[in-house]
Amino acid sequence: MRSALPALLLLPFAAVAASGDASCAACHKSEASHFPGTPMGLAALSVGRCDILQKHPLLEYREGPFHTEIKTEGNRSTITVTRGTETFSTPILYALGQGKAGQTYVFQYDGAIYESRASYYNAIGGLDITIGDIGTVPQTVVEAAGRRLAPLDAANCFGCHTNGAVVHGMLHLDAVTPGVGCQSCHGDVERHEAAVRSGNVAAARLPHLGDLAAEDMLELCGQCHRTWAQIAQTGMNGPNTVRFQPYRLTNSKCYDVDDKRIRCTACHDPHGQIDTNLASYDSKCTACHAAALHTKTCPVSKENCVTCHMPKIDLPGAHHQFTDHEIRIVRAGGPYPN
Amino acid sequence: MLVCGRTLAGFAGLILGVSGVALCQDHPSPDALLHQALELHRSGDFAGAIAEYRAYLEQVPDNPMALSNLGAALAHGGDFPEAIVEYRKALELQPANLPVQMNLALAYYKSADISHAAAELERVLGERPGERQPALLLSDCYLRLGENRKAIDLLAPLEQQTPDDKALDYMLGNALIRDGQTARGELLVDRILRDGDSAEAHLLLGESRIWAQDYAGAVTEFQKALAINPQLPSLNGYYGTALANLGETAEAEAALRKELAADANDYAANFQLGKLLMRDDSAQSRAYFVRALGQRPNDFAARYQLALLDLQDSHPEQARAALESLTRENPRDVRAHIALATAYYKLKRKQDVNKQRAIVLELNAEKHAGASGGTSK
Repeated sequence: MRSALPALLLLPFAAVAASGDASCAACHKSEASHFPGTPMGLAALSVGRCDILQKHPLLEYREGPFHTEIKTEGNRSTITVTRGTETFSTPILYALGQGKAGQTYVFQYDGAIYESRASYYNAIGGLDITIGDIGTVPQTVVEAAGRRLAPLDAANCFGCHTNGAVVHGMLHLDAVTPGVGCQSCHGDVERHEAAVRSGNVAAARLPHLGDLAAEDMLELCGQCHRTWAQIAQTGMNGPNTVRFQPYRLTNSKCYDVDDKRIRCTACHDPHGQIDTNLASYDSKCTACHAAALHTKTCPVSKENCVTCHMPKIDLPGAHHQFTDHEIRIVRAGGPYPN
Repeated sequence: MLVCGRTLAGFAGLILGVSGVALCQDHPSPDALLHQALELHRSGDFAGAIAEYRAYLEQVPDNPMALSNLGAALAHGGDFPEAIVEYRKALELQPANLPVQMNLALAYYKSADISHAAAELERVLGERPGERQPALLLSDCYLRLGENRKAIDLLAPLEQQTPDDKALDYMLGNALIRDGQTARGELLVDRILRDGDSAEAHLLLGESRIWAQDYAGAVTEFQKALAINPQLPSLNGYYGTALANLGETAEAEAALRKELAADANDYAANFQLGKLLMRDDSAQSRAYFVRALGQRPNDFAARYQLALLDLQDSHPEQARAALESLTRENPRDVRAHIALATAYYKLKRKQDVNKQRAIVLELNAEKHAGASGGTSK
């Protein structure tokens, strides 16, 4: 629950002017060199930097009487929707998401931000309906192009996918830096940088995220990946919840609010790529489940734990299988646990 | 409320007509003082009248008419706490004086002490059952207190007696819609609309859209109402609420502030503005929730929001106490259990965190089982 967070956890949405990650790189070389190429670093892309748009100069999608095209030429992509003689056409501002699973586009029209109704899905190599729009029927060419976002929703959207653009809950498009940045998690990096330059060690201190307990870290990461409270409050159930890793992890039997061995960064390097070698996660499991620790161990296997205990779940409409972060003993044919 | 705005005007100056004392003396005898007070009161010099009433009452402290008139003069100047004191003194001497009871209720109502106003009006109606004006005012109190069922019980019999009373239709429609009886409520709205387009009817339709969580539909209705009568009480409060739910925060805040400029005690406007300001201005947000709670003492939603503010402001112990109380009152409220889990976490009560989370998952599972016609586990 955002409102119940300690002050430091509110920082992703706080009023911080973009300092620029380049200045952070001067001291934090290792983190800064890896981060821009990670899924978080690529959470939003300008058209020129978007591989998917560059590699697919024409994407098409048909829905009832509406025909959608996304045409890319150089650094410019245009979304065009036609129905008979009616046409709506507007440039795309940003692509949201790296596209490993999917990618959605945003554009501006009539003073508002719109989320494209068609998204690119990697598994099908083309466009299909955006997952949040399933079950809705567009009435106009504009509605077929995208869903108008209320200012608050637009701010939330850009608050997670970009940095520097949301000040006091208001979106400032002119200040957008695409992708998650240092300040998104670490807070007031501008103050930090100024204090470092002036030699004021005390003022330079930033919250040390490495000290966070599991619960606090899930709250921090959950500001974008959704917290347990946010999802529980919606009452959502079924495979739809699989996208919200902090919620699923919290529901795990082995989750412990205080234990750093079960927090997000126990398995994921926030400055690095996601490790696709599933065996690499075994050591995280055996940090708790080991004979030497007199804890429960797996009678079936000692390796590739996540392949059984964190199964891949097919999310309808997403054309992608998501790893279920509710760590559990999976019974063959058993239901998805809510 | 619109209806009560009319009602209040109807009750003003009830007691002056009771005057039966008209004496004129060469020196300020008690009777002369009273006469002078009445003259000043009639001429609109309320400050002068108050001084004369007080001088008279120093000598004759047990004249209920003078006490009541003093109360009326004080109320006219907006000094409701003092007016209430005087009305109460008058009622000690004449407990069954209906006009004074009514004025006392109005003084409570105008000073935003709705609970006491309702209690006084219940007394009035106990002695004069079926009286239209006190019934309308009492039903407005019930609506402000969120006691919609009581308003329905009070108004439904009156509606059968006077089926073409627009004010009554409006109040009853309001109560029904807020109680979730939207179909019945909208029948009354149709009756109001028979006489032509009206802001009141669109306000009610907008409210019913809010209940159905159709906020865009609600905004459309409220905009129609605003085009007809932008001054309609409560309209901007509900309009702001619908806009806030659509994420149109800047427009919502403007509408809510407009409502509060007209009626600082509007529950919906105070509550919603408190919610809007929660993230950026905790102190102001708290002040609005407290005011909302003043309108509806014991209101679950306002107490819940205050508990969230306590969590946000690092007062987990206060939040815990409030949330434990809320979950006792309504054990099926998922939001309160979620927030209570957070409070326990802040207090390092791990077992209790897990217990609350288990309750939440169970409640959500039951909800889904109920929706799909199955059982939870």
